[in-house]
Amino acid sequence: MQLTKKEKDMIEGKYGPGYQRCMEILVAVGECYGAERMVPVTSVHIAGNYSVMETEGIEWLEELAQDGARVTVFTTKNPEMFDFEDWREFNIPENLLDKQNRINDVLRTLGATLTYSCHHYLVGNLPRFGDHIAWASSGSGAYANSVIGARSNRDGDHTVISAAVTGVIPEYGLHLSRNRKGQVIVKTDSLNIADYNHADFQAMAWQIGKKVGDRIPVFVDLPPNIVTQNLKAILYTLTVTGAVGLVHFVGITPEAPTVEAACGDDASSLEKISVTQEDVDQAYREISTSSDEKVDLVIFGCPQCSIQEIGEVAEFLDGKKIHPETQLWICTSDWVKTLCKRMGYSEKIKAAGGRIVADIGAACGPYLYLPQQGVRVIAINSARASYYSHNVTGMETWFGSTRECIETAIAGTWRGHK
Amino acid sequence: MMKIKAKIVVRGIVRGEAIVSSMPISFTGSVDPNTGIVREPGHELEGQSIAGKILLFPMGKGSTTGSWQFYATYKRGNAPKGIINLRAEGVVAVSAVITGTPMVHQLEQDPFQYIKNGDMVTINGDEGFVEVEREAP
Repeated sequence: MQLTKKEKDMIEGKYGPGYQRCMEILVAVGECYGAERMVPVTSVHIAGNYSVMETEGIEWLEELAQDGARVTVFTTKNPEMFDFEDWREFNIPENLLDKQNRINDVLRTLGATLTYSCHHYLVGNLPRFGDHIAWASSGSGAYANSVIGARSNRDGDHTVISAAVTGVIPEYGLHLSRNRKGQVIVKTDSLNIADYNHADFQAMAWQIGKKVGDRIPVFVDLPPNIVTQNLKAILYTLTVTGAVGLVHFVGITPEAPTVEAACGDDASSLEKISVTQEDVDQAYREISTSSDEKVDLVIFGCPQCSIQEIGEVAEFLDGKKIHPETQLWICTSDWVKTLCKRMGYSEKIKAAGGRIVADIGAACGPYLYLPQQGVRVIAINSARASYYSHNVTGMETWFGSTRECIETAIAGTWRGHK
Repeated sequence: MMKIKAKIVVRGIVRGEAIVSSMPISFTGSVDPNTGIVREPGHELEGQSIAGKILLFPMGKGSTTGSWQFYATYKRGNAPKGIINLRAEGVVAVSAVITGTPMVHQLEQDPFQYIKNGDMVTINGDEGFVEVEREAP
Protein backbone atom coordinates (compact mmCIF):
# COMPACT_ATOMS: atom_id res chain seq x y z
CA MET A 1 0.00 0.00 0.00
CA GLN A 2 1.02 3.60 -0.57
CA LEU A 3 1.12 5.27 2.84
CA THR A 4 1.34 8.99 3.57
CA LYS A 5 4.19 10.31 5.72
CA LYS A 6 1.92 10.44 8.78
CA GLU A 7 0.69 6.89 8.20
CA LYS A 8 4.29 5.68 7.80
CA ASP A 9 5.30 7.48 10.98
CA MET A 10 2.46 5.73 12.80
CA ILE A 11 3.44 2.26 11.61
CA GLU A 12 7.08 2.94 12.47
CA GLY A 13 6.08 3.76 16.04
CA LYS A 14 6.76 7.50 16.04
CA TYR A 15 3.30 8.13 17.55
CA GLY A 16 3.80 5.37 20.16
CA PRO A 17 2.84 1.70 20.34
CA GLY A 18 -0.94 2.26 20.41
CA TYR A 19 -1.06 4.09 17.09
CA GLN A 20 1.49 1.63 15.68
CA ARG A 21 -0.72 -1.38 16.52
CA CYS A 22 -3.75 0.28 14.95
CA MET A 23 -1.92 1.12 11.73
CA GLU A 24 -0.54 -2.45 11.53
CA ILE A 25 -4.11 -3.77 11.72
CA LEU A 26 -5.32 -1.45 8.95
CA VAL A 27 -2.37 -2.23 6.64
CA ALA A 28 -2.95 -5.99 7.08
CA VAL A 29 -6.63 -5.57 6.17
CA GLY A 30 -5.76 -3.29 3.24
CA GLU A 31 -3.18 -5.76 1.88
CA CYS A 32 -5.70 -8.63 2.08
CA TYR A 33 -8.12 -6.78 -0.14
CA GLY A 34 -5.58 -5.15 -2.45
CA ALA A 35 -6.27 -1.59 -1.24
CA GLU A 36 -3.88 0.96 -2.75
CA ARG A 37 -4.17 3.60 -0.04
CA MET A 38 -6.00 4.80 3.07
CA VAL A 39 -8.89 7.28 3.04
CA PRO A 40 -9.97 9.54 5.95
CA VAL A 41 -13.05 8.48 7.93
CA THR A 42 -15.55 10.90 9.50
CA SER A 43 -17.52 8.54 11.76
CA VAL A 44 -16.89 5.29 13.66
CA HIS A 45 -19.22 2.91 15.50
CA ILE A 46 -18.07 0.00 17.69
CA ALA A 47 -20.29 -3.11 17.82
CA GLY A 48 -18.90 -5.73 20.20
CA ASN A 49 -20.37 -6.22 23.64
CA TYR A 50 -19.12 -8.25 26.57
CA SER A 51 -20.61 -11.54 25.33
CA VAL A 52 -18.16 -11.65 22.39
CA MET A 53 -15.33 -9.48 23.77
CA GLU A 54 -14.94 -11.46 26.99
CA THR A 55 -12.41 -10.43 29.66
CA GLU A 56 -9.47 -10.75 27.27
CA GLY A 57 -11.11 -8.28 24.90
CA ILE A 58 -11.45 -5.72 27.69
CA GLU A 59 -7.76 -6.26 28.48
CA TRP A 60 -6.85 -5.69 24.83
CA LEU A 61 -8.65 -2.33 24.93
CA GLU A 62 -6.99 -1.45 28.26
CA GLU A 63 -3.53 -2.17 26.80
CA LEU A 64 -4.34 -0.06 23.76
CA ALA A 65 -5.32 2.83 26.03
CA GLN A 66 -2.20 2.38 28.19
CA ASP A 67 -0.12 2.46 25.01
CA GLY A 68 -1.41 5.96 24.34
CA ALA A 69 -4.03 5.36 21.65
CA ARG A 70 -6.94 7.82 21.60
CA VAL A 71 -9.75 8.16 19.07
CA THR A 72 -9.41 11.09 16.68
CA VAL A 73 -12.81 10.63 14.99
CA PHE A 74 -16.29 10.79 16.57
CA THR A 75 -16.93 7.24 17.80
CA THR A 76 -20.07 5.72 19.33
CA LYS A 77 -20.80 2.31 20.87
CA ASN A 78 -23.51 -0.33 20.40
CA PRO A 79 -25.83 -1.45 23.23
CA GLU A 80 -24.56 -3.43 26.20
CA MET A 81 -26.07 -5.72 28.83
CA PHE A 82 -28.30 -3.63 31.10
CA ASP A 83 -29.94 -0.25 31.76
CA PHE A 84 -27.40 2.12 33.33
CA GLU A 85 -30.08 3.97 35.30
CA ASP A 86 -32.28 1.12 36.53
CA TRP A 87 -29.76 -1.73 36.73
CA ARG A 88 -30.47 -2.36 40.44
CA GLU A 89 -33.96 -3.58 39.58
CA PHE A 90 -32.66 -6.31 37.26
CA ASN A 91 -30.63 -8.56 39.62
CA ILE A 92 -27.50 -8.18 37.52
CA PRO A 93 -24.69 -10.55 38.66
CA GLU A 94 -21.71 -8.76 40.32
CA ASN A 95 -19.34 -10.18 37.75
CA LEU A 96 -21.19 -8.52 34.85
CA LEU A 97 -21.37 -5.18 36.70
CA ASP A 98 -17.62 -5.27 37.19
CA LYS A 99 -16.99 -6.08 33.52
CA GLN A 100 -19.34 -3.31 32.41
CA ASN A 101 -17.57 -0.75 34.60
CA ARG A 102 -14.25 -1.71 33.01
CA ILE A 103 -15.74 -1.38 29.51
CA ASN A 104 -17.10 2.08 30.42
CA ASP A 105 -13.76 3.20 31.84
CA VAL A 106 -11.60 2.04 28.95
CA LEU A 107 -13.89 3.39 26.23
CA ARG A 108 -14.06 6.75 28.04
CA THR A 109 -10.25 6.81 28.27
CA LEU A 110 -9.92 5.99 24.57
CA GLY A 111 -12.32 8.86 23.84
CA ALA A 112 -15.30 6.92 22.51
CA THR A 113 -18.77 8.32 23.35
CA LEU A 114 -20.78 5.93 25.51
CA THR A 115 -24.04 5.99 23.57
CA TYR A 116 -24.79 2.27 24.06
CA SER A 117 -27.14 2.60 21.14
CA CYS A 118 -27.59 0.90 17.78
CA HIS A 119 -29.64 3.80 16.41
CA HIS A 120 -26.55 5.98 16.79
CA TYR A 121 -27.54 7.81 13.59
CA LEU A 122 -30.60 9.09 15.51
CA VAL A 123 -28.59 10.30 18.50
CA GLY A 124 -25.71 12.26 17.04
CA ASN A 125 -23.53 10.01 14.89
CA LEU A 126 -24.87 11.04 11.51
CA PRO A 127 -22.41 11.07 8.59
CA ARG A 128 -23.03 12.89 5.32
CA PHE A 129 -23.60 11.64 1.79
CA GLY A 130 -20.36 10.27 0.36
CA ASP A 131 -18.50 10.20 3.68
CA HIS A 132 -16.15 7.27 4.33
CA ILE A 133 -17.09 5.72 7.66
CA ALA A 134 -16.27 2.59 9.70
CA TRP A 135 -19.37 1.11 11.34
CA ALA A 136 -19.00 -2.37 12.79
CA SER A 137 -22.57 -3.55 12.92
CA SER A 138 -23.97 -5.04 9.76
CA GLY A 139 -27.50 -3.63 10.06
CA SER A 140 -26.58 -0.02 10.66
CA GLY A 141 -23.75 -0.30 8.10
CA ALA A 142 -26.34 -1.25 5.50
CA TYR A 143 -28.51 1.68 6.66
CA ALA A 144 -25.56 4.07 6.25
CA ASN A 145 -24.76 2.83 2.74
CA SER A 146 -28.34 2.57 1.52
CA VAL A 147 -30.28 5.41 3.18
CA ILE A 148 -27.64 8.00 4.12
CA GLY A 149 -25.29 7.30 1.20
CA ALA A 150 -22.17 7.17 3.37
CA ARG A 151 -19.64 4.43 2.61
CA SER A 152 -18.85 1.58 5.00
CA ASN A 153 -17.55 -1.96 4.54
CA ARG A 154 -18.50 -4.90 6.74
CA ASP A 155 -15.67 -4.26 9.21
CA GLY A 156 -14.93 -5.93 12.55
CA ASP A 157 -14.36 -4.05 15.80
CA HIS A 158 -10.54 -4.13 15.76
CA THR A 159 -10.61 -2.56 12.31
CA VAL A 160 -13.03 0.21 13.24
CA ILE A 161 -11.26 0.99 16.51
CA SER A 162 -8.02 1.27 14.51
CA ALA A 163 -9.80 3.59 12.09
CA ALA A 164 -11.06 5.70 15.00
CA VAL A 165 -7.52 6.06 16.36
CA THR A 166 -5.62 6.66 13.11
CA GLY A 167 -8.44 8.54 11.36
CA VAL A 168 -8.19 6.42 8.19
CA ILE A 169 -9.46 3.15 6.66
CA PRO A 170 -8.13 1.10 3.71
CA GLU A 171 -9.84 2.09 0.46
CA TYR A 172 -11.48 -1.06 -0.92
CA GLY A 173 -14.93 -2.58 -1.39
CA LEU A 174 -17.84 -0.19 -0.84
CA HIS A 175 -15.49 2.79 -0.36
CA LEU A 176 -14.96 2.75 -4.16
CA SER A 177 -17.70 4.00 -6.52
CA ARG A 178 -16.97 1.23 -9.00
CA ASN A 179 -17.95 -1.40 -6.42
CA ARG A 180 -21.29 0.24 -5.54
CA LYS A 181 -23.25 -0.62 -8.69
CA GLY A 182 -26.41 -2.68 -8.36
CA GLN A 183 -25.99 -6.37 -9.24
CA VAL A 184 -29.45 -7.92 -9.02
CA ILE A 185 -32.95 -6.44 -9.55
CA VAL A 186 -35.56 -7.13 -6.86
CA LYS A 187 -39.23 -6.94 -7.94
CA THR A 188 -41.88 -6.62 -5.23
CA ASP A 189 -44.87 -5.60 -7.42
CA SER A 190 -46.56 -9.02 -7.18
CA LEU A 191 -46.92 -8.54 -3.39
CA ASN A 192 -49.59 -6.39 -1.82
CA ILE A 193 -47.05 -4.28 0.07
CA ALA A 194 -49.49 -1.39 0.46
CA ASP A 195 -51.02 -3.49 3.26
CA TYR A 196 -47.71 -4.70 4.72
CA ASN A 197 -46.79 -3.98 8.32
CA HIS A 198 -43.28 -3.77 9.72
CA ALA A 199 -43.13 -7.55 10.34
CA ASP A 200 -44.35 -8.38 6.82
CA PHE A 201 -41.49 -6.34 5.35
CA GLN A 202 -39.05 -8.35 7.46
CA ALA A 203 -40.59 -11.67 6.42
CA MET A 204 -40.29 -10.55 2.78
CA ALA A 205 -36.65 -9.48 3.24
CA TRP A 206 -35.86 -12.78 5.03
CA GLN A 207 -36.64 -14.64 1.80
CA ILE A 208 -35.09 -12.05 -0.53
CA GLY A 209 -31.82 -12.12 1.44
CA LYS A 210 -31.38 -15.83 0.71
CA LYS A 211 -31.65 -15.19 -3.03
CA VAL A 212 -29.41 -12.09 -2.99
CA GLY A 213 -26.45 -13.67 -1.15
CA ASP A 214 -23.54 -11.21 -1.18
CA ARG A 215 -24.69 -9.22 -4.22
CA ILE A 216 -25.94 -5.60 -4.25
CA PRO A 217 -29.74 -5.70 -4.68
CA VAL A 218 -31.80 -3.00 -6.41
CA PHE A 219 -35.39 -2.66 -5.20
CA VAL A 220 -37.19 -1.10 -8.17
CA ASP A 221 -40.80 -0.73 -7.08
CA LEU A 222 -41.03 0.34 -3.45
CA PRO A 223 -43.09 3.53 -2.97
CA PRO A 224 -40.77 6.53 -2.34
CA ASN A 225 -42.90 7.53 0.68
CA ILE A 226 -42.25 4.20 2.47
CA VAL A 227 -41.60 5.00 6.14
CA THR A 228 -38.04 4.72 7.46
CA GLN A 229 -39.08 2.02 9.93
CA ASN A 230 -39.98 -0.24 7.00
CA LEU A 231 -36.69 0.47 5.20
CA LYS A 232 -34.92 -0.54 8.40
CA ALA A 233 -37.08 -3.67 8.53
CA ILE A 234 -35.80 -4.66 5.07
CA LEU A 235 -32.15 -3.73 5.67
CA TYR A 236 -31.69 -5.25 9.11
CA THR A 237 -33.21 -8.54 7.90
CA LEU A 238 -31.33 -8.73 4.57
CA THR A 239 -28.08 -8.61 6.55
CA VAL A 240 -29.12 -11.76 8.45
CA THR A 241 -30.02 -14.10 5.58
CA GLY A 242 -27.71 -12.43 3.05
CA ALA A 243 -24.25 -10.86 3.28
CA VAL A 244 -25.57 -7.51 2.12
CA GLY A 245 -23.71 -4.22 2.69
CA LEU A 246 -25.52 -1.89 0.28
CA VAL A 247 -29.07 -1.89 -1.08
CA HIS A 248 -30.28 0.48 -3.78
CA PHE A 249 -33.88 1.54 -3.16
CA VAL A 250 -34.68 3.32 -6.43
CA GLY A 251 -36.04 6.79 -5.70
CA ILE A 252 -34.84 6.67 -2.08
CA THR A 253 -31.12 5.80 -1.94
CA PRO A 254 -29.12 8.98 -2.71
CA GLU A 255 -27.07 7.20 -5.39
CA ALA A 256 -30.15 5.63 -7.00
CA PRO A 257 -32.58 8.24 -8.34
CA THR A 258 -33.15 5.84 -11.27
CA VAL A 259 -32.43 2.18 -12.05
CA GLU A 260 -29.78 3.29 -14.53
CA ALA A 261 -28.04 5.47 -11.95
CA ALA A 262 -27.99 2.50 -9.54
CA CYS A 263 -26.74 -0.10 -12.02
CA GLY A 264 -24.94 1.72 -14.78
CA ASP A 265 -25.35 0.53 -18.36
CA ASP A 266 -25.87 -3.09 -17.33
CA ALA A 267 -29.34 -2.57 -15.83
CA SER A 268 -31.25 -4.46 -18.51
CA SER A 269 -28.97 -7.51 -18.41
CA LEU A 270 -29.16 -8.03 -14.63
CA GLU A 271 -30.92 -11.02 -13.11
CA LYS A 272 -34.39 -10.23 -11.71
CA ILE A 273 -35.60 -11.91 -8.53
CA SER A 274 -38.89 -11.85 -6.62
CA VAL A 275 -40.65 -13.76 -3.88
CA THR A 276 -44.28 -14.92 -3.59
CA GLN A 277 -46.77 -14.29 -0.80
CA GLU A 278 -46.44 -18.00 0.07
CA ASP A 279 -42.69 -17.43 0.56
CA VAL A 280 -43.43 -14.49 2.88
CA ASP A 281 -45.92 -16.58 4.90
CA GLN A 282 -43.37 -19.41 5.08
CA ALA A 283 -40.76 -16.97 6.48
CA TYR A 284 -42.90 -16.45 9.61
CA ARG A 285 -42.72 -20.19 10.28
CA GLU A 286 -38.95 -20.23 9.71
CA ILE A 287 -38.16 -17.22 11.89
CA SER A 288 -40.09 -18.41 14.97
CA THR A 289 -38.36 -21.26 16.81
CA SER A 290 -40.70 -21.93 19.74
CA SER A 291 -43.34 -24.64 20.00
CA ASP A 292 -44.35 -23.57 23.53
CA GLU A 293 -47.14 -20.99 23.36
CA LYS A 294 -46.61 -19.63 26.87
CA VAL A 295 -44.45 -16.52 26.51
CA ASP A 296 -42.15 -15.31 29.33
CA LEU A 297 -41.01 -12.05 27.76
CA VAL A 298 -42.25 -9.80 24.97
CA ILE A 299 -39.34 -7.62 23.87
CA PHE A 300 -39.02 -4.84 21.27
CA GLY A 301 -35.90 -3.02 20.07
CA CYS A 302 -33.66 -4.60 17.46
CA PRO A 303 -32.63 -2.11 16.31
CA GLN A 304 -33.51 -0.02 19.37
CA CYS A 305 -37.02 1.51 19.21
CA SER A 306 -37.46 5.05 17.92
CA ILE A 307 -39.69 7.54 19.76
CA GLN A 308 -42.39 7.00 17.10
CA GLU A 309 -42.44 3.23 17.66
CA ILE A 310 -42.68 3.63 21.43
CA GLY A 311 -45.46 6.21 21.01
CA GLU A 312 -47.49 3.61 19.10
CA VAL A 313 -46.90 0.98 21.79
CA ALA A 314 -47.91 3.41 24.57
CA GLU A 315 -51.11 4.33 22.75
CA PHE A 316 -52.03 0.70 22.19
CA LEU A 317 -51.32 -0.22 25.83
CA ASP A 318 -53.23 2.72 27.30
CA GLY A 319 -55.71 1.41 29.86
CA LYS A 320 -54.70 -2.25 29.34
CA LYS A 321 -52.83 -4.70 31.62
CA ILE A 322 -50.23 -7.20 30.56
CA HIS A 323 -50.37 -10.76 31.85
CA PRO A 324 -48.85 -11.19 35.36
CA GLU A 325 -46.55 -14.00 34.18
CA THR A 326 -45.31 -12.20 31.07
CA GLN A 327 -42.85 -9.30 31.01
CA LEU A 328 -42.84 -6.54 28.40
CA TRP A 329 -39.52 -4.78 27.65
CA ILE A 330 -39.10 -1.94 25.20
CA CYS A 331 -35.40 -1.43 24.44
CA THR A 332 -34.08 1.93 23.32
CA SER A 333 -31.33 4.48 23.83
CA ASP A 334 -31.06 6.62 26.95
CA TRP A 335 -31.98 9.70 24.85
CA VAL A 336 -35.25 8.20 23.66
CA LYS A 337 -36.03 6.89 27.17
CA THR A 338 -35.73 10.46 28.48
CA LEU A 339 -38.04 11.68 25.75
CA CYS A 340 -40.55 8.94 26.63
CA LYS A 341 -40.78 10.31 30.18
CA ARG A 342 -41.44 13.80 28.84
CA MET A 343 -44.12 12.49 26.47
CA GLY A 344 -45.90 10.48 29.16
CA TYR A 345 -45.21 7.20 27.33
CA SER A 346 -43.17 5.78 30.22
CA GLU A 347 -46.09 6.22 32.64
CA LYS A 348 -48.62 4.60 30.30
CA ILE A 349 -46.34 1.65 29.62
CA LYS A 350 -45.51 1.26 33.30
CA ALA A 351 -49.20 1.40 34.27
CA ALA A 352 -49.87 -1.46 31.88
CA GLY A 353 -47.04 -3.48 33.48
CA GLY A 354 -44.34 -2.98 30.86
CA ARG A 355 -41.03 -1.13 31.06
CA ILE A 356 -38.73 0.94 28.90
CA VAL A 357 -35.14 -0.33 29.15
CA ALA A 358 -32.29 1.86 27.92
CA ASP A 359 -28.74 0.96 26.79
CA ILE A 360 -29.58 -2.56 25.60
CA GLY A 361 -30.81 -4.07 22.34
CA ALA A 362 -33.29 -6.90 22.01
CA ALA A 363 -30.85 -9.26 20.24
CA CYS A 364 -28.23 -10.38 22.79
CA GLY A 365 -27.24 -8.41 25.88
CA PRO A 366 -30.06 -9.18 28.39
CA TYR A 367 -29.95 -12.92 27.64
CA LEU A 368 -26.69 -13.08 29.60
CA TYR A 369 -28.80 -12.98 32.80
CA LEU A 370 -32.49 -13.41 31.90
CA PRO A 371 -32.37 -17.23 31.46
CA GLN A 372 -31.18 -17.53 35.09
CA GLN A 373 -34.32 -15.61 36.03
CA GLY A 374 -36.59 -18.10 34.27
CA VAL A 375 -37.00 -16.38 30.89
CA ARG A 376 -36.97 -19.01 28.14
CA VAL A 377 -39.62 -18.16 25.49
CA ILE A 378 -39.70 -14.66 24.00
CA ALA A 379 -42.01 -12.93 21.52
CA ILE A 380 -40.41 -10.30 19.33
CA ASN A 381 -41.17 -8.03 16.37
CA SER A 382 -37.62 -8.35 14.93
CA ALA A 383 -36.55 -11.24 12.70
CA ARG A 384 -32.92 -10.29 13.28
CA ALA A 385 -33.26 -10.49 17.06
CA SER A 386 -35.16 -13.77 16.79
CA TYR A 387 -32.24 -15.24 14.84
CA TYR A 388 -29.46 -13.97 17.13
CA SER A 389 -31.20 -14.54 20.45
CA HIS A 390 -31.90 -18.14 19.42
CA ASN A 391 -28.55 -18.96 17.80
CA VAL A 392 -26.23 -17.07 20.15
CA THR A 393 -28.01 -17.33 23.49
CA GLY A 394 -30.44 -20.24 23.02
CA MET A 395 -33.77 -18.43 23.54
CA GLU A 396 -36.96 -19.88 22.01
CA THR A 397 -38.76 -17.26 19.92
CA TRP A 398 -42.06 -16.19 18.37
CA PHE A 399 -41.87 -13.58 15.61
CA GLY A 400 -44.77 -11.32 14.64
CA SER A 401 -46.00 -7.74 14.28
CA THR A 402 -45.87 -5.20 17.11
CA ARG A 403 -49.64 -5.54 17.58
CA GLU A 404 -49.49 -9.36 17.73
CA CYS A 405 -46.68 -9.16 20.28
CA ILE A 406 -48.57 -6.70 22.48
CA GLU A 407 -51.70 -8.89 22.33
CA THR A 408 -49.41 -11.74 23.39
CA ALA A 409 -48.13 -9.70 26.35
CA ILE A 410 -51.73 -9.14 27.48
CA ALA A 411 -52.81 -12.77 26.97
CA GLY A 412 -49.60 -14.41 28.20
CA THR A 413 -49.61 -16.80 25.25
CA TRP A 414 -48.63 -16.35 21.59
CA ARG A 415 -51.30 -14.53 19.53
CA GLY A 416 -49.62 -14.20 16.13
CA HIS A 417 -48.66 -16.27 13.05
CA LYS A 418 -47.96 -19.94 13.77
CA MET B 1 10.72 -31.19 1.28
CA MET B 2 8.29 -29.02 -0.64
CA LYS B 3 8.52 -25.24 -0.68
CA ILE B 4 5.64 -23.03 -1.85
CA LYS B 5 5.82 -19.25 -2.20
CA ALA B 6 3.09 -17.24 -0.46
CA LYS B 7 2.01 -13.68 0.26
CA ILE B 8 2.67 -12.46 3.79
CA VAL B 9 -0.14 -11.31 6.08
CA VAL B 10 1.74 -11.44 9.41
CA ARG B 11 5.53 -11.88 9.75
CA GLY B 12 7.27 -14.52 11.84
CA ILE B 13 8.53 -18.09 11.44
CA VAL B 14 6.73 -21.03 13.01
CA ARG B 15 6.90 -24.83 12.63
CA GLY B 16 4.24 -27.30 13.69
CA GLU B 17 1.79 -30.05 12.89
CA ALA B 18 -0.77 -29.25 10.20
CA ILE B 19 -4.53 -29.44 10.67
CA VAL B 20 -6.47 -29.00 7.44
CA SER B 21 -10.05 -27.85 6.83
CA SER B 22 -11.50 -27.50 3.35
CA MET B 23 -14.44 -25.63 4.97
CA PRO B 24 -14.32 -21.96 6.06
CA ILE B 25 -14.07 -21.28 9.80
CA SER B 26 -15.78 -18.70 12.03
CA PHE B 27 -14.07 -17.92 15.31
CA THR B 28 -17.35 -16.73 16.82
CA GLY B 29 -19.37 -19.86 17.43
CA SER B 30 -17.31 -22.52 15.61
CA VAL B 31 -14.34 -22.78 18.01
CA ASP B 32 -14.50 -23.06 21.82
CA PRO B 33 -12.02 -20.52 23.29
CA ASN B 34 -11.64 -22.68 26.41
CA THR B 35 -10.34 -25.73 24.54
CA GLY B 36 -9.52 -24.81 20.93
CA ILE B 37 -11.92 -27.57 19.85
CA VAL B 38 -14.13 -26.98 16.81
CA ARG B 39 -17.73 -27.22 18.07
CA GLU B 40 -19.75 -26.27 14.98
CA PRO B 41 -22.16 -29.15 14.25
CA GLY B 42 -21.38 -30.71 10.88
CA HIS B 43 -18.00 -28.98 10.47
CA GLU B 44 -15.36 -31.34 9.11
CA LEU B 45 -13.09 -30.50 12.08
CA GLU B 46 -15.91 -30.94 14.64
CA GLY B 47 -14.47 -32.38 17.85
CA GLN B 48 -10.82 -31.73 16.83
CA SER B 49 -8.52 -29.19 18.46
CA ILE B 50 -6.73 -26.47 16.48
CA ALA B 51 -4.64 -25.46 19.53
CA GLY B 52 -0.92 -25.19 18.80
CA LYS B 53 -1.33 -26.42 15.21
CA ILE B 54 -0.62 -24.90 11.81
CA LEU B 55 -4.17 -24.30 10.58
CA LEU B 56 -4.87 -24.47 6.84
CA PHE B 57 -8.37 -23.39 5.73
CA PRO B 58 -9.77 -21.51 2.72
CA MET B 59 -10.91 -18.33 4.50
CA GLY B 60 -12.88 -16.95 7.44
CA LYS B 61 -16.66 -16.71 7.50
CA GLY B 62 -19.46 -15.43 9.72
CA SER B 63 -19.55 -12.75 12.38
CA THR B 64 -17.11 -9.83 12.31
CA THR B 65 -16.76 -10.32 16.08
CA GLY B 66 -14.53 -13.33 15.30
CA SER B 67 -11.36 -11.36 16.12
CA TRP B 68 -12.53 -10.88 19.75
CA GLN B 69 -13.14 -14.61 20.12
CA PHE B 70 -9.83 -15.52 18.42
CA TYR B 71 -8.02 -13.22 20.86
CA ALA B 72 -9.68 -14.92 23.87
CA THR B 73 -8.76 -18.33 22.38
CA TYR B 74 -5.15 -17.17 21.98
CA LYS B 75 -4.91 -15.76 25.52
CA ARG B 76 -6.16 -19.09 26.93
CA GLY B 77 -3.41 -20.94 25.01
CA ASN B 78 -5.78 -22.59 22.55
CA ALA B 79 -5.16 -20.75 19.26
CA PRO B 80 -3.33 -22.18 16.25
CA LYS B 81 0.34 -21.15 16.11
CA GLY B 82 0.27 -20.34 12.40
CA ILE B 83 -2.41 -19.75 9.74
CA ILE B 84 -2.46 -20.52 6.01
CA ASN B 85 -5.46 -19.26 4.02
CA LEU B 86 -6.24 -19.58 0.34
CA ARG B 87 -7.38 -15.95 0.39
CA ALA B 88 -7.40 -14.01 3.64
CA GLU B 89 -10.39 -11.89 4.64
CA GLY B 90 -10.34 -9.11 7.20
CA VAL B 91 -11.53 -10.88 10.34
CA VAL B 92 -8.92 -13.67 10.26
CA ALA B 93 -6.20 -11.26 9.14
CA VAL B 94 -6.92 -8.96 12.08
CA SER B 95 -6.99 -11.96 14.44
CA ALA B 96 -3.48 -12.91 13.29
CA VAL B 97 -2.18 -9.33 13.58
CA ILE B 98 -3.38 -8.74 17.15
CA THR B 99 -1.97 -12.06 18.36
CA GLY B 100 1.27 -11.95 16.35
CA THR B 101 0.34 -15.27 14.73
CA PRO B 102 2.40 -15.83 11.54
CA MET B 103 0.02 -15.95 8.58
CA VAL B 104 0.35 -16.29 4.80
CA HIS B 105 -2.13 -16.57 1.93
CA GLN B 106 -2.39 -16.72 -1.88
CA LEU B 107 0.12 -19.58 -2.22
CA GLU B 108 1.61 -20.13 -5.69
CA GLN B 109 0.38 -23.73 -5.65
CA ASP B 110 -2.78 -25.18 -4.12
CA PRO B 111 -1.80 -25.97 -0.51
CA PHE B 112 -4.60 -28.56 -0.19
CA GLN B 113 -2.68 -30.69 -2.73
CA TYR B 114 0.48 -30.74 -0.64
CA ILE B 115 -0.48 -30.32 3.01
CA LYS B 116 -2.30 -33.15 4.81
CA ASN B 117 -3.36 -33.55 8.45
CA GLY B 118 -0.36 -34.36 10.63
CA ASP B 119 2.34 -33.11 8.22
CA MET B 120 5.11 -31.02 9.77
CA VAL B 121 4.83 -27.58 8.18
CA THR B 122 6.86 -24.38 8.51
CA ILE B 123 5.34 -20.97 7.78
CA ASN B 124 8.05 -18.45 6.94
CA GLY B 125 6.21 -15.16 7.23
CA ASP B 126 9.44 -13.17 6.94
CA GLU B 127 10.38 -14.33 3.47
CA GLY B 128 6.93 -15.48 2.30
CA PHE B 129 6.88 -19.23 1.86
CA VAL B 130 5.52 -22.45 3.33
CA GLU B 131 7.64 -25.60 3.69
CA VAL B 132 6.15 -29.10 3.98
CA GLU B 133 8.35 -31.92 5.35
CA ARG B 134 7.00 -34.55 3.02
CA GLU B 135 7.75 -35.86 -0.44
CA ALA B 136 5.75 -34.26 -3.24
CA PRO B 137 2.97 -36.61 -4.39
